[in-house]
Amino acid sequence: MQSIRVTVQLENDKYTLRQVFKIVSKENLGSYSCSFGDEAKADFLLAGPQIGEVRDKPIVSYVGDSVVVKCKMDEKKPKPASWNWYKANGTDKEQIFYAAEPQKYEIKNHEWVTKLVVHKLTEGDSGFYYCEGVYAVSTTMGHVELKVITFLEPLKPFIAIIVEVIVLVAAILIYEKSQSKKNSAGGNETNADQTNTPTPGDNNGPEESSSTRQRKV
Amino acid sequence: MNNHGPKAKSHSGEAEGPNGDWSWVLVGALFISTGLVFGLMRIMGIFFVEFVNYFEESSQSISWITSISLATQQFFSPVATALCNAYETRAVVMTGGFLSGLGLIAASQATCLVHLYLSMGVITGLGWALVFTPMMATVVANISQRRALALGLGLSSIGIFSFTLSPLFQLLVEMYTWRGALLIMGGLSLNIMVCGALIRPQWCSKALKKVDSKPRSSCATVLRRVSSYLELPVLLERPYLTYTATITIFNAGYFVPYVHLVALSRMTGFSEYQAAFIMSATGVTDILGRVTTGWFSDLGYFRTIHLLSLWVVLAGLFIILLPVSSLTGSYAALMAISLLYGFCSGALSSLVFAVMPMIVGVERVMGALGLLQLIESGAGLLGAPLSGLLKDMTGNYTVSFIVAGSFLIVGTLIMTTLPHYFSRTDPPPPHRVPHDVKDRGVHLELEHINNSPSDTSPKGAQ
Repeated sequence: MQSIRVTVQLENDKYTLRQVFKIVSKENLGSYSCSFGDEAKADFLLAGPQIGEVRDKPIVSYVGDSVVVKCKMDEKKPKPASWNWYKANGTDKEQIFYAAEPQKYEIKNHEWVTKLVVHKLTEGDSGFYYCEGVYAVSTTMGHVELKVITFLEPLKPFIAIIVEVIVLVAAILIYEKSQSKKNSAGGNETNADQTNTPTPGDNNGPEESSSTRQRKV
Repeated sequence: MNNHGPKAKSHSGEAEGPNGDWSWVLVGALFISTGLVFGLMRIMGIFFVEFVNYFEESSQSISWITSISLATQQFFSPVATALCNAYETRAVVMTGGFLSGLGLIAASQATCLVHLYLSMGVITGLGWALVFTPMMATVVANISQRRALALGLGLSSIGIFSFTLSPLFQLLVEMYTWRGALLIMGGLSLNIMVCGALIRPQWCSKALKKVDSKPRSSCATVLRRVSSYLELPVLLERPYLTYTATITIFNAGYFVPYVHLVALSRMTGFSEYQAAFIMSATGVTDILGRVTTGWFSDLGYFRTIHLLSLWVVLAGLFIILLPVSSLTGSYAALMAISLLYGFCSGALSSLVFAVMPMIVGVERVMGALGLLQLIESGAGLLGAPLSGLLKDMTGNYTVSFIVAGSFLIVGTLIMTTLPHYFSRTDPPPPHRVPHDVKDRGVHLELEHINNSPSDTSPKGAQ
């Protein structure tokens, strides 16, 4: 820790200390503090801009599809000079070079936003991806998780629903068929009270009941 | 299928339609299928953010998907009802369920925007057309005793489904991305086929009534049959035209708050969450309005058509009051008026369908509703852009809301020109005279009864 001792004169009933620091490299960043004997102390933290919004939920995509992984720096802060992308490999981070595999990766940088496009996804592409914004004196890192799933995943609930539909439709149609078989087998019984029987029921209503109904109308 | 003779007789005899347990099963089917049509339509918005990111298109081009599906659904309604008149309603609705599921499943494989327009827009819209109006007409025709309540219950699913499915699909999009979520949505839509299976084959068939004595199908015969399936003659009747004009004008103003209320709240200075909460709360009173007005209307103290006029006028009034209350800047005032608007708009939307059989008669409800959907769709398509235009011209929503509200009030004034509007009891609904000679005797008897003094006039839907 470096220490600078400065003597200040009293001006307008105040002791004012103003110090200029040149921030040249990363070493100049950090914690600064000034103290006036035991009476006053102020702490400052000098740091490079940090990536604010980090997406906490994983980005999901399918095998064979392509996906866009995005990192954004707050537009109120200065924009990074350049961006780097890394893929987590165990505990290491491996940098993704655009030129090395142009079929697979595409990096699109635009001021405050960087986009990594990954094509022809495989399940091995799942994991954490790190975007690094590079400034003259500092870098900042954000991370996004990518999850690659096969189409079988949503297919399972889908098949379950299809099965349910088929079962219900079959049940309804079979029930109705059995009802109508029962009615026609039972001869021309009047089922006037059971209004939920299909057409044979109407057939059997004798003229009396249909005409009485008309009378009420 | 059994004898045509007795069945035709029972058709004309049972003017009220069979009541009882199975009708309420149909109401349940209407509940599920309407929820799966319009409820799903309302939550399509969840996918839009995903589509904008994935396809890198503007949100305006994405919003065309909903417009296409809604327009297709309304445009093909008469075709759907004509098919029901020609063939079995059950087959039509089940096909509709299949198509709507198919469209969404195809959409899950989309690689470009046009693919989405065709699958999620056209195919699903077509499926929905084959489902909604036929199911509505079936319930309207099958229930006479508590029709308004049945319709209110059946339509309440729109709000309930969109409310409950919204977080579910948000979760599905997170787990399976939009492709997986659309696939599952398609699967859910296939449940409409289950609803369709519940429609018993008895209520179809003008085809059966029409015992064509001319076996050769000349051009004229075919045209006549098609026009009768489409119920085109109903367009020539003044009551129907008046009613359709009324509903069309309602449509021009009715949707405006749903489209612009959030923007109005944001403009007044409320946060996103406050604005969204107003919409959710309005959705809840909408559901309440549908069910309670249905129950109240069936009690019979007032004619359904008078209640409809009341709710429409109130809704128009509240729409006009919305920007006025926002001028006060008070959140409570805006919320209160929105809740009242929600109640009235839910109330009127189920009564609109309940009144139809009194205008055209129960047998023609199917085709009449189909044509109505088509005609009113024009106003619906124009209404929201018109109010958007007015807002762009004047800089705020006051004028556009006032215009929307006045559409509703003007529509009510037109509705008062319906015949027998001011009488205390419902006039007897018109009866079609069938071509079948066998029925003529029965029908003459019926007409005689209908023309008798109003003391014996039907309590019907009252």
